[in-house]
Amino acid sequence: MTVRSRIIVSVWAGLAALLLVPSLSVAQQENTWAEIRSTVIGESVPGDGTGRLTLVAPSRAEDAAIVPIELRVTVPDDDAGRVTKITLVVDENPAPVAAVFQLRDGQKTFDMATRVRIDSYTFVRAVATMDDGRLYMTKTYVKAAGGCSAPAAKDPVEAKARLGEMRFRVFADRGDAQVQVRHPNYSGLQMDQVTRHYTPAWFIDKLDVRQGEKTLFSMEGGISISEDPTFRFTYGSTGEPVTIEARDTEGQVFKKIFPGSGT
Amino acid sequence: MSARHRTGQAWECSVLIWLLAGPGAYAQAPPEPEGYRLEEYRAPTPLTLKGATVIGTPEAEALWRQGNAVFIDVMPQPQRPANLPAGTLWHAPSRDSIPRAVWLPNVGYGVLTPETEAYFRHGLSVAAQADHSRPLVLFCQRNCWMSWNAAKRALRYGYSVVYWYPEGTDGWKDAGLPVERAERSP
Repeated sequence: MTVRSRIIVSVWAGLAALLLVPSLSVAQQENTWAEIRSTVIGESVPGDGTGRLTLVAPSRAEDAAIVPIELRVTVPDDDAGRVTKITLVVDENPAPVAAVFQLRDGQKTFDMATRVRIDSYTFVRAVATMDDGRLYMTKTYVKAAGGCSAPAAKDPVEAKARLGEMRFRVFADRGDAQVQVRHPNYSGLQMDQVTRHYTPAWFIDKLDVRQGEKTLFSMEGGISISEDPTFRFTYGSTGEPVTIEARDTEGQVFKKIFPGSGT
Repeated sequence: MSARHRTGQAWECSVLIWLLAGPGAYAQAPPEPEGYRLEEYRAPTPLTLKGATVIGTPEAEALWRQGNAVFIDVMPQPQRPANLPAGTLWHAPSRDSIPRAVWLPNVGYGVLTPETEAYFRHGLSVAAQADHSRPLVLFCQRNCWMSWNAAKRALRYGYSVVYWYPEGTDGWKDAGLPVERAERSP
């Protein structure tokens, strides 16, 4: 081997090693899912969600406390099944199950978008449960850190003054609507830098959105859902009023009824 | 030599420089702040820390093999809030660290609770066997201000020989050095 070719080989070996580093660390991160999987979804092995369930998230988030996540359900026409539940998991968050969305009668196509806290570089994954029990999973890697402990954007006094205020906006042209509930959604990991104490966890753990008697979706949420929980979802008004009911971890219930056309 | 060869050589050369400099060298290092870093801990760190010696992996390895310095891992680990709803799945990420390092999580935040402050002082004192001249090596992972904050804090506590190892376990693992599962110090 000539000196020149040795240099080339060593350059390529170095480059290959460098390229391997990220893939190795990614492989390592998957260990967390292996550890929590059975607790989150049981023993069933989920199928590849490609083409049925899409998860859109930034690969590098600007603000780890409000990382936008979008879930898109698209069950193929030749599949009779419907999606009845979507579980959103942030592997490396200390409470990895961010939210569980129930779609009562099941959906063939449905979009849901929200904002979550991300504590360290992680896979974010979604698992769709079909009405016949089949599971499909999709995942994406997000580089963001410190989202669970980041101080609240609003001061506690303002947050309390507006606690439980709700908005329901309809975007008929896009075929969706947005629900927002004012709540600090404290994760329990945020320190008040003035008092130097952790603010206790306090967040919306149940949300129910109905049109007339029909539940559009309901959600069970954890500490990963961002301050002022916001959900944008596929919506077509029937003209009936929309009821939003939220409950927080202190048992407070917030309820408001809106016209089906929004505010 | 043909033009094609020259281009190839130039390209190989630039790859080599990039490899030597390390991809991190392309992210700009911020200047050293006066106080502690208070937010966005996962970001490029300064090249310096006043009063401390900044070391790379070869120096860290030498200190580790020599065995006198105490390695302090400050990688954060969230603690379960007392009032989470029953049944909430809690899974604090595990930590693979430099063998024999003492893991003192959460001591690298910009502001500490009085309890965490006491935990850090006590943890360092036990690890250094109450000897303030015992060399300390503080680290977490690459682009993590927590080790910078913690090293600054150790200096404030009166430790006189403080090494800051900014590459942390990332640099350590990249060099093929061993890591082992760490348990947080009680």
